[in-house]
Amino acid sequence: MIAVLIVLALGGLMHAARSFSADIGSAGTELAFGYLLLSAYFMGKIVSRFGLPKLTGYIATGVVAGPFVLGLVSMDMGASLKVVKGVAICILALTAGAELNFKKVRPILATLNSMVFFSVVVGMTVLAGALLLLRPLLPFFDQLNFVQSLAVCLTLGIALTAMSPAVLMAMVSEMKSDGPVTQVMLALVVVADLVVIIFYALGSAFAVATVGGGIDVMQTALAVGWELFGSIAFGLLIGMVIGAYLRSSTKGASLFAVMVCVVVAEIGSRVHLDPLIVMLAAGIWLENISKADAHALIGDFESAQLPVFLVFFALAGAQLDIYALSAVIVPVLIIAIVRGAVFYTGCRIACKRTNADAQVAKYAWYGMLPQAGLTLALAMLVQKTFPTFGVAAALILFGVGAVNQAVAPVMLRIVMLRTGEAGKRAAHDFAEH
Amino acid sequence: MQPAGLLTTVATAATTSDSLFAIKIIGGLVALMVLAYLGGHKRVVKFQEQLGISSAIAAGLPFVVLGLVAAHPAIGILSGDVLERLRPLLHFGLGWLGFIIGAQLDIRVLDRVPKGTAYIILVEALGPAAVTAAACGGIMLSFGMTLDDPVFWRDLVVLGAAAAMTAPRRFRGFANRGWSEGKSVDILIAQLDEIVGVVGLLFITAYFRDDSAAVAWQLPGTAWVFVAAGLGVSIGVLIFVMVRVPSSNAEFLAVVLGGIAFASGLAGYLHLSPLVICFLAGVLVVNFPNDQRDAVFRILHHLERPVQLLFLIIAGALWHVGDWRGWLLVPAFVIARSVGKWVGVLGAHASIGAAVPRGFLEDRRLVSPLSSLSIALVISIESLYRDQAIPWITTAVIGAAFFIEIVVQFTGGNNEPLPTTSLTGAPIDDLDAPTPMPTLGADTGPTQHDTNKTALLPPLRIKDEDL
Repeated sequence: MIAVLIVLALGGLMHAARSFSADIGSAGTELAFGYLLLSAYFMGKIVSRFGLPKLTGYIATGVVAGPFVLGLVSMDMGASLKVVKGVAICILALTAGAELNFKKVRPILATLNSMVFFSVVVGMTVLAGALLLLRPLLPFFDQLNFVQSLAVCLTLGIALTAMSPAVLMAMVSEMKSDGPVTQVMLALVVVADLVVIIFYALGSAFAVATVGGGIDVMQTALAVGWELFGSIAFGLLIGMVIGAYLRSSTKGASLFAVMVCVVVAEIGSRVHLDPLIVMLAAGIWLENISKADAHALIGDFESAQLPVFLVFFALAGAQLDIYALSAVIVPVLIIAIVRGAVFYTGCRIACKRTNADAQVAKYAWYGMLPQAGLTLALAMLVQKTFPTFGVAAALILFGVGAVNQAVAPVMLRIVMLRTGEAGKRAAHDFAEH
Repeated sequence: MQPAGLLTTVATAATTSDSLFAIKIIGGLVALMVLAYLGGHKRVVKFQEQLGISSAIAAGLPFVVLGLVAAHPAIGILSGDVLERLRPLLHFGLGWLGFIIGAQLDIRVLDRVPKGTAYIILVEALGPAAVTAAACGGIMLSFGMTLDDPVFWRDLVVLGAAAAMTAPRRFRGFANRGWSEGKSVDILIAQLDEIVGVVGLLFITAYFRDDSAAVAWQLPGTAWVFVAAGLGVSIGVLIFVMVRVPSSNAEFLAVVLGGIAFASGLAGYLHLSPLVICFLAGVLVVNFPNDQRDAVFRILHHLERPVQLLFLIIAGALWHVGDWRGWLLVPAFVIARSVGKWVGVLGAHASIGAAVPRGFLEDRRLVSPLSSLSIALVISIESLYRDQAIPWITTAVIGAAFFIEIVVQFTGGNNEPLPTTSLTGAPIDDLDAPTPMPTLGADTGPTQHDTNKTALLPPLRIKDEDL
């Protein structure tokens, strides 16, 4: 009850403040940050009373307070909090990377490879085919011939296979989950997203060439190479720096790592490096190569990252235009179901071929359902890449992402409870160090 | 993953200048991070203490200078664009500072200071405030400002309020590690004249509003005083309720951080000072009965150093040192403040004379360090107003703060060891016994109570550097 009253009071104060001026200024950024942080926190408390994951509450806060419903947090405010998104992605990537222990992954490597092939690579094709069949329901295909439609469907199909290490890590953190299924899920989404990035670059280049205009293949290859391998190299360097700090000092490591995340988030895109790949590589270095105790850092980190997560997921919710989504709800639901079915089937086939653990075979595919940062980023790229129909095409991606944002955390919570892996992870509290 | 960069690359190749700019920024920010870390290192802190640099302003000087250097056009790390993006952090820093100062104001301790102390401090604060404002005002008139310009009067109030505030005798960090009832008499006394500054800021933001942007609320100045006070109280009550919910330190961090950010953001959005609003909120959170005070202080202490250093760096970057008129105000500020102190002491003597405890007035120092809140005050004004006089008063206050600090360091005023005991051996910070303090003007000779209890007479030991 007290949480409900607090959420109402926060909303009232926010509404009053927003009535003062339309110009958000620099204070608007901070206001939005504080409001989303507090509201998401208390909404998380409220929804957890109903057996739902707190993450659902965070996202719901953004949807309700965002520009498409109550308008308490405007588009400009959301845009001004871009740095929070970047930092959150970096923190999540560092944590996810540090979860990837090669020794633990090696026994399941064959399963992982097989899952990536059958669920992701085959999944791209199936989803492209599904989109092709759904053309009568999607008016933007009217202006494209069959070959062009095929190319665009392929691009969208690749984008639809994107997953969310962020949501998965947040759920793992919330549920304190650890075990074989969690390990496979984490490794799977990280590897799968790397594959999606490469395929998307190639697919979109093909689509652009097909729909109109040519493309410089060499430039594309160089760009992909720089983004991927440059990010990995820079990430390893960052991992070395954090590792050196961890070995030389025991205090303030999490703060240092957060500052590194701020720098990488701010600078990465300026030099065309992917902050997520950078911090993933850093985390993998720390966990597998560095002599530093990465677990101490991550344990400390997990507690201090809550404020960033709250705002990050609330912002993800604020980007959902539920009115525009309602216009394409039928194809969106069909695609979301196909996507789930593809992942399920792909995982089952992969696990059967590699004699994977029964629990993994039954539950690991759930980890592929969540969508957040990458899907939204790809959707925005589709808008930019195809100016004539990109907005309508991106709506499909936003829509499927929204459905999965609403459903996937709930499913993951159930899975983590059913597998018995929830609560297996040791929790740290930073102020106790 | 963020392939935004990827497509950008496909569309347009990175230019050399972009890369150089990014590398410069990376190098600069990394350097700032390293320096910020080194500044907080225990060896550096110990070295500072060995040098006698233990006050907030002297210890913070390198970071202000760092900000200045980073903002220099030739360096270009904290350029105008970057600073604009960092402004929310500045607002947060001000709010955080206000909240901590408010949270350390344990009103119940007021019962344990001698009656009349607040009056003495008020009179002594008004002296330097009035004389400094008059002296600097005279010079500012010669710069072309006019008496009928509201900005002129606003700046006089700012300068006066900044001059009125005196630093605690020794800087021990803004936030305590934990809350303990009745153990902060020293801090409380030091804070009384800081309250003068906070109140001054409250009135400035209410009566000298810069509503050049289109705003829907058109209220008279007095109404803004009530809006600010009401907002501070509302936020205080809200935070007080909110801190009861968290069940772990991580959640506590989220709530305290969110509460201060929300309060600062609201204040900034309404063109009020985050420092004032968060100060009021801090006072309420700590003085309402609750069991979460210790957790609040633990979080505040946990974040203290990074927030403080970041605030100082940004403050340095915002400081326009190039305007000579600001530097001309510095000597006027320093001399007028000392004269004002003298006037204040005389005023206190003349008004309550014999009522003042024996030795109290004789121990007053005419050159005492400025409170770090003075710098926060001018930075707060800088973030609210944009006119030609803002760089002058910023330079006047920051420059004077450093100058006075150096004078005090050289004259050894700050190197005196903290008095750990009162006349009767009771630590000055441990005045937690519920002993009524002697009233000014009352007979200070031994009483039955004095001989039976501990005969605490701390007011006789309170010197100006103690304040």
